Amino acid sequence: MHREIRDHIENVLAGSQPEHLAECEECSSEVQSMQEHTALIRELRAPEGFVAEPRAGFYARVMERIEAEGPISIWNLFIESPFGRRIAVASMALAILLGVYLVTSERSAEVPMIAVQEAQQPLVVVGEDGPARVIMQMDQSSAGQSSQDAVLGDLVSYQEQ
Amino acid sequence: MDGSIGILPFPLTGEGTRARPRVDHKNSDEAALVRRVQARDEMAFREIVERYQSKVFSIIYGILRNRNDAEDIAQQVFAKVYFSLKNFDFRSSLLTWIYKITVNECYDYLRKKRVRKLVYESDFSQEDAQRMEASEPAVDGAVPADTRLAQRDLILKLLSKVSEEERTLILMKEVEGHSVEELAGMTGLNENTIKVKLFRTRQKLLKAAGRLTRVR
Repeated sequence: MHREIRDHIENVLAGSQPEHLAECEECSSEVQSMQEHTALIRELRAPEGFVAEPRAGFYARVMERIEAEGPISIWNLFIESPFGRRIAVASMALAILLGVYLVTSERSAEVPMIAVQEAQQPLVVVGEDGPARVIMQMDQSSAGQSSQDAVLGDLVSYQEQ
Repeated sequence: MDGSIGILPFPLTGEGTRARPRVDHKNSDEAALVRRVQARDEMAFREIVERYQSKVFSIIYGILRNRNDAEDIAQQVFAKVYFSLKNFDFRSSLLTWIYKITVNECYDYLRKKRVRKLVYESDFSQEDAQRMEASEPAVDGAVPADTRLAQRDLILKLLSKVSEEERTLILMKEVEGHSVEELAGMTGLNENTIKVKLFRTRQKLLKAAGRLTRVR
């Protein structure tokens, strides 16, 4: 639509006839469609004879509804709409799953912690090295002791021979 | 009906801009009533209901053409007004605000019905079809009742394609007969903005109608 019409569209729709409208087919056709829509929208008026009064006791019925509905809370949105209910159920299921996962993973994590704690007992005595190394050192020293005993045993038996 | 827009073009430039005193919705009689409701004065709410119930009824009936549904939706409108009034910010008039709630409730109702066309036909035939046929003899050039129903259905569908604000504005302009100047006063927007919004709405309706025709 050209500016000549667009700038005055409310006037044009109210009945004014600018010269441009007679010259421009595009504007003329668009204005005609807009006029048709305007006429249809005006059909949404209540008819002339319509008595726009509710039945007696309307205010009391409104108050009853207000009392029945109560204040709108965020929970109402979840409880009342089916989609909200689905979201609530899905969230609860997810929370339960997460809870189960956390509990089970904590339990399985507790076992090595105890082992490490037990193994860490000599750490205090040995020094500041990591527990694995301390355990390794302990293992190595005990293994070395047994192999030393074996060698001594062999020497004794060799001398006896 | 209109006629107040004079020769003002939009976008307004230079001389076209007339400075109008803005309507002060915070210090009106309505605002005092709203503040009383916000302070939990039930009598004030009753006054609001009694003041606007006819208006709300006629808006709903104009859109839906069903008296029973109009009563039910009007109750819902005032319940919503009651719960939301604490958030009313006085930027527009109370009537504009209630009008918007009412139109939205009508569209919520229509959405819930889903089988829109059938609903309109059955509802309309109960109350209006006979009256319409009786009051409008079948003369040449008269629009038949079923065509009118189809047209109502079409325009309601088209109006569902624009935003709530646009729908409210165009209905207040064309159904209620408010001028651009009055709309500016009621909404707290300036006249130029109202004109631009109305023009965009009309264009959107044209586009939506074009799409609908192509689909059919």
